[in-house]
Amino acid sequence: MTRLLTSIALLLWFALAAVGTARAQTIPGTTPEIFKQFSEHVVKIEVVETGSSAKAATGTGFFADASGRIVTNYHVISKLVHSPERYRIDVIDVAGATTVATVLGVDVVFDLAVLRTNRQPKGHLVFESKAVAQGTRLYSLGHPRDLGLSIVEGTHNGLLKHTLYPKVHFTGSLNPGMSGGPTLTQAGKVVGINVATEGNQISFLVPAERAMILLDKTAKGETPPAASFLADVGRQIFDNQARYLAGMFDAKTPRVALAPYDLPTKPTEFFRCWADAVRRKELPYVSVTHDCSTDDYIFVSSEQSLGIVRFYHQLLSTSELNPVRFFTLYSGQFQGGNAAMFGNEEEVTPFRCQTRNVATAHGKLKGVLCARQYVKLPALYDAVFRAATLGSRNAGLVSTLSLSGVSFDNVQNLSRRYMENIKWQR
Amino acid sequence: MAALGYLEILDGKGAVSERIAVDSFPLTIGRAYGNQVIVDDPFVCPLHLKIFQDEQGRLLASDLDSVNGIYSASSKDRVAQLVLQSGSQFRIGHTTLRYVSVDHPLAPTQVDRAVKASPLASPLASPYAAAVAGVVLVLLLCLDAYLSSVERVSFARIIGEPWITVSMLATWAGMWALASRIIVSRFNFAAHVTIACLALLTISALGVVAEWTEFFLPRVPMLWIAGLFGYGAVLAALLYGHLGAASPLRRRSRLWAAGAISLVVVGTSAISDYAARSKFSTVMAFTGVVKPIDAAWLPATSVDEFFAGAEKIKKELDKLAQKAKSSQP
Repeated sequence: MTRLLTSIALLLWFALAAVGTARAQTIPGTTPEIFKQFSEHVVKIEVVETGSSAKAATGTGFFADASGRIVTNYHVISKLVHSPERYRIDVIDVAGATTVATVLGVDVVFDLAVLRTNRQPKGHLVFESKAVAQGTRLYSLGHPRDLGLSIVEGTHNGLLKHTLYPKVHFTGSLNPGMSGGPTLTQAGKVVGINVATEGNQISFLVPAERAMILLDKTAKGETPPAASFLADVGRQIFDNQARYLAGMFDAKTPRVALAPYDLPTKPTEFFRCWADAVRRKELPYVSVTHDCSTDDYIFVSSEQSLGIVRFYHQLLSTSELNPVRFFTLYSGQFQGGNAAMFGNEEEVTPFRCQTRNVATAHGKLKGVLCARQYVKLPALYDAVFRAATLGSRNAGLVSTLSLSGVSFDNVQNLSRRYMENIKWQR
Repeated sequence: MAALGYLEILDGKGAVSERIAVDSFPLTIGRAYGNQVIVDDPFVCPLHLKIFQDEQGRLLASDLDSVNGIYSASSKDRVAQLVLQSGSQFRIGHTTLRYVSVDHPLAPTQVDRAVKASPLASPLASPYAAAVAGVVLVLLLCLDAYLSSVERVSFARIIGEPWITVSMLATWAGMWALASRIIVSRFNFAAHVTIACLALLTISALGVVAEWTEFFLPRVPMLWIAGLFGYGAVLAALLYGHLGAASPLRRRSRLWAAGAISLVVVGTSAISDYAARSKFSTVMAFTGVVKPIDAAWLPATSVDEFFAGAEKIKKELDKLAQKAKSSQP
């Protein structure tokens, strides 16, 4: 009896083990299966400095059609866009074979690029055309920190709500080097392209349809000269301005009261605003700040991120300092506090500024407008408009608007609308 | 017997090294001890020349067949005979001689600047002036330390900041006083203190005026102008004053010296200012002085004018970008 029982138990054990093994090998949609099935369509991308033949940047890409076009991030290959004479792109497949790629087109706003090699791929990935429900299991492929092709599991958490450029919120750990890699559904369809991470499993994907649009645009397959892409980048940024600047600081802009001032705040959903106050016992004045900034930016190069709009109000008031001392403080705040700006001589001109006393409909203010121009991106400017309200003896407002990568018309229009939005009771 | 005149032996710079009274003519000059005027010069003969009066009363110097002869100082030629007037110079061997009569006209007496100071310098040199200037300066420095602090102020801080300035000023005046003692044998410390105090007060006043001007008229870069030329002028005046109390230089020489030094300082700072401006920078350089006054008093441009002015910035930037583009490979 005991022997019989033992035999049955052993049989059962073997049967279960066999079932387990069979599941690991054959059940589709499991992580090993997805990796096995789709990893051959994923490639490693190396941007190589031709002088030293050493890699300057690495990322991931994937074959997106039968002709062998490869989708990756613009930021992976941005060095080549800026200095085509100094870099080349190597594409390395899973078998380790290396071929040189050329760029067919870039979308700097959504951080995408399409490349081509002269090799026919064995197959390619397809894009998911249906909407994907929040909570769907996703699998991201890429070369994290150049450690070899890896697969990362995560969850689709919908499109980000307060963002200027649509992005998929992917709850999973993306790491540097996985940029440009595909994130797949269980069926192996691409829902997005790995683009950024904020750590702690908060990662972002470019929606698949943006890659499809860029693939359509580059469908002719002609290879434009490498030197032409930077001008193209400038044009795309220029054309993109209308998307986020139109109507900003118009009459419908929400307002915040920092008595006696009535000021603009959070012009659109894609701004984030913060407020704080400094009321310390040892200081004979109070400083209240209100700071708004866009979260989104356009990566142009490791030194240039454009398209950011930021503004902040600082209300200074005192019941203790006499007017002369208060204005020493006020002058200092107005003239100081400039954060170090990025940029070098090859990319931007130095700033040029204009200071005037300006009479607005609400009162007089000291206004400063500083601007600089991009050298390689035509007709784009960075600008800072700063105002200090005048007339009060124990209170003052310093308000600053900074814009990056906009036309000069927008510098003037936005600064003007911003200035006219600074209201106060005299 | 009263002297008729003097024969003066001159050194290389024309100063008198020996003066011999002449009470009668004729007289002989040479290296020999029998002469009335003995010249210790190996190129002069023992009996070199004779000076005598002719029938017309002229005074003549006549060569006594000397080896190296007589040279007229005015014509530089060897002469056998020379008519001497009061002040005439001539050379024998390597020695220059001058004859002057007793009634030779003299230059007017020079004023000793170190002893009798100019009317402007005299009140400055008084220790009372120095004390008043010093007290006014200390009070103003204390007031400035108070007004420029934006935190709660302590008595120690208001006193402490001016203390550094005052001790530096005292050291500066002390060094000038030491120089005065060496050059004109007087310290003139009070004068140097007054001059330094006045210069510092002028600089403070200039700063205040420049700030207010820039506040009212931001178009005019008054702070920059005052920083370069105003301070240069104050420096020139400061040096002019110190040199007056520390040297016997005439007014014109002091003006030149002070002007030249100040010009060098202004020039150097203008060059470094220009170098700093033309160097690439990502800093927004602007001045934005604000002052507590009723806004009604303030001249202001309209919003339209402000943005019309911005076109100028665009033009300038376009030019800079063009230049940067053309300088790139």
